[in-house]
Amino acid sequence: MKLEYVLFGFGILLSLAGVGYLAAEYVKYLSEVGKLVALLLAVGMFGFLGKYLESLGW
Amino acid sequence: MPRNLFLYLDLACFVGLLAIFVVDGYLGIYDTVYIIAGEREEKIEPDSWLRQEKFGARGVGVSRDEKAFFRYEVDNRRFSRYMADIEVSVWHSQQKVRDLVSQPMSIAGFDKGELEWVIDTAELLPGDIPPEQSYEFTIIIKRGEIERNIIVYINPRAYPSKLVPVPSR
Repeated sequence: MKLEYVLFGFGILLSLAGVGYLAAEYVKYLSEVGKLVALLLAVGMFGFLGKYLESLGW
Repeated sequence: MPRNLFLYLDLACFVGLLAIFVVDGYLGIYDTVYIIAGEREEKIEPDSWLRQEKFGARGVGVSRDEKAFFRYEVDNRRFSRYMADIEVSVWHSQQKVRDLVSQPMSIAGFDKGELEWVIDTAELLPGDIPPEQSYEFTIIIKRGEIERNIIVYINPRAYPSKLVPVPSR
């Protein structure tokens, strides 16, 4: 059971590292409008995630 | 209100974020210049051209009487074929010194095209420039409507060669 959690954590870390790397690589090619919309979507994503977790009773 | 509304909105934002990175950040035409001068290789990456609009053209140093080897790479990250006329020329004080390359380029979707040329500073320098004086000129790369500028600095000789008199026998 504990090993599963370790593997889940490892997978989540790798995923975040991969997405972070790609974001850093391609954010410099985004236009100014693209950067602004991406920022708004990122804020919205974290905001809605918070509301969802709140609705679950966290 | 649906039970998982916030989860769906969250996923929609994530998908939108990915779509912006793919469409606005990855797809398009990207050009890179590789310059080998002496033992150094310099790479002018696509994002450098964006900075060029704000801070001016990128510069590269070449020693006097040395050759510089240029490789211009165009990356077509689109689904359709990309075609453009490439013109490369050398300019100094708003006047064209020499044409280097003029040819069409055709690149298939998600493929790369390359073009190479060499500049010889010994040929480009005017004869009346003393060795201890630096000189510069601009390489202008025209790809269709798009123009890329690279300033080439010709460094002066640190120690100008002096003729040593031959001792009399």
